[in-house]
Amino acid sequence: MDLFLSGLEILFNWQILLAIPLGLILGIVVGAIPGLTSDLGIILCIPLTYTLEPTVAILVLLAIYVGGTYGGSITAILINTPGTSANAATLFDGYPMTQNGEAYKALSMALYASTVGGLISAFVLLFAAPPIAKVTLMFGPAEYLALAVFGLSVIAGVSNSNILKGLMGACIGIFVSTIGLDVISGTMRFTFGNLQLRRGIDLIIALIGLFAISEILMKAKYNPKTDRKIVDPASITRCRISQKEYRRCRKPLTIGTIIGIIIGATPGTGGGLAAFIAYNQVKQSSKHPETFGKGEIEGVAVSESANNAACGGTMIPMLTLGVPGDGATAILMGAFMVHGLVPGPMLFKEQGNILFAIMLGLIVVNISLWLVGNVFTKFYAHITRIPFELLACIVLTFCAAGAYSTNNSMYDVYYIFVFGILAYYLRLMDFQLVPILLGIVLGPLAELNFRRALILSDGSYSIFIKRPISLAFLLIAFGSILVFTIKNFLHQRSLGKEASQME
Amino acid sequence: MKVKINAEIVAGLLFTIAAGILFLMIPTEINTLETTEINAQTVPKIALGGLAIFSFLLFLQGLFLLPKKEIVFSQEFYASRVFKDSIRSLIYIAIVIVYVVLFKLFGFIASNIYLIFAVLMYYGARKKSYYAIALCISALVYFVFSVVLNISLP
Repeated sequence: MDLFLSGLEILFNWQILLAIPLGLILGIVVGAIPGLTSDLGIILCIPLTYTLEPTVAILVLLAIYVGGTYGGSITAILINTPGTSANAATLFDGYPMTQNGEAYKALSMALYASTVGGLISAFVLLFAAPPIAKVTLMFGPAEYLALAVFGLSVIAGVSNSNILKGLMGACIGIFVSTIGLDVISGTMRFTFGNLQLRRGIDLIIALIGLFAISEILMKAKYNPKTDRKIVDPASITRCRISQKEYRRCRKPLTIGTIIGIIIGATPGTGGGLAAFIAYNQVKQSSKHPETFGKGEIEGVAVSESANNAACGGTMIPMLTLGVPGDGATAILMGAFMVHGLVPGPMLFKEQGNILFAIMLGLIVVNISLWLVGNVFTKFYAHITRIPFELLACIVLTFCAAGAYSTNNSMYDVYYIFVFGILAYYLRLMDFQLVPILLGIVLGPLAELNFRRALILSDGSYSIFIKRPISLAFLLIAFGSILVFTIKNFLHQRSLGKEASQME
Repeated sequence: MKVKINAEIVAGLLFTIAAGILFLMIPTEINTLETTEINAQTVPKIALGGLAIFSFLLFLQGLFLLPKKEIVFSQEFYASRVFKDSIRSLIYIAIVIVYVVLFKLFGFIASNIYLIFAVLMYYGARKKSYYAIALCISALVYFVFSVVLNISLP
């Protein structure tokens, strides 16, 4: 209790209360630009925090992390391009909402869901971090593989009418994820003698190419004279979330937050996986799953609450055990050490007051996100009024600059256009891009842990069944695929009967 | 010449061939020294094998189970909206490819000037303000990346 009060005392100083909104604004801007991520924002700002108090410094960086995770939803909703991989699931319904003229509603829900998810995970971090950390430490390679398979089972849900195309997409994604250096054996795979391919294809590069570039190319037939919609500026912000919609989103927000915290607390996963899994669960349990993917506000609510809840979740293993939850927290750990704080069990004992100030500060960060985000949401919604021909130039400029900045390499610029052109033709042939993304995200997690698990078990596959958490995830994954397949088959059969009755 | 085709036949055939070729390349492209059953070649084999199987099934699905569109390659087809839209798409893709080449050869600023003019002219934009806004934003992006973020663009 003393540490709690001491932390509270440290927290309320003007430097922190000024620094947090600034960090959020920077995080939102960085997160919204495809190619730049909150990781980059944190890295660039660490040197700027050298002269600040440890608490101020860490909270600024946390604000960038939280702001970046929310900021990626803005471009996901407005131009079908997630600013970060954590916002990929927001595309499913966020962009269709924009296409339906509900951009402001989607952005408002993204902000609301991000705040709720982030706030609840901050409270969980404060009160329940140690026991959650103990559970997630029980995850071994078998559990991670099962989690990856569970994540891949989302493909069944997003493949709509043709599961073969979804499976092909996943195979393409998994293949792309194997390009480069194999971390276990050090073997080069499909580099064709090109050293640049040694580091593989960056996830953010694949994201920019698959979604942003292909979206621009899909508008090749756009004719400004006939296709431009004249939008009344006042009507953009008139489309608000109703009380009924807020009530409908309670369940998705709850599910998204819980899954976000648990997945976030599992080291090496992150907000993207949490958002996909949560989205899939909400869609499966919904009374109207057919509306998902067509502009369903619950879809935006669940994915954004999950990815922001994962922000607090990733802090749990980092602060309690010294194990980073994802890439951003790995960088944050470096920032902790620069300021003389060593994350882990000893931090509670030796500098508990600072730790409590940081955990309480995360609550303040999420409240500030709501305040800062509300100021910008109305402005962002007006981006939909920009004529497409102008927007295309701006988006391509940002994409090329963002891609180049990832690794200071021209090859990344080549890759985004290769992916973009491939994705464009796939979309023309009615392929979904999300299975490809899932394959790229989950392929490395699945392969690494599959091989590690078999090394540990001396080649015995029973390791995946003997471990209860692994078995549970695998059963849920296969059950999920089965349920979707049966539902899809029954739906197709009923459509076929209706068609023959009409004839 | 008449052709009865659908997207599933095209996609299925192309990916079956591509997956097959890449699968056959695995021994040369993944030269692993591991002697275990599960090694660096395993997951690429699963991915490419799976892709080959699923795309072949898609090909069969397209061939036997799904409706096909009839395309008649005649003068009427070449004058049709569908063909003209396809050519427009190819031109758009060519604009983007030239942008990438210029990005490499002449750097960010010069290639972006080309991109802005090419894309706006492609869409028939005549308002000078569009060109001015796009050029200003390019300059701003260059400034933000180079000076603020300290990332040197070419």
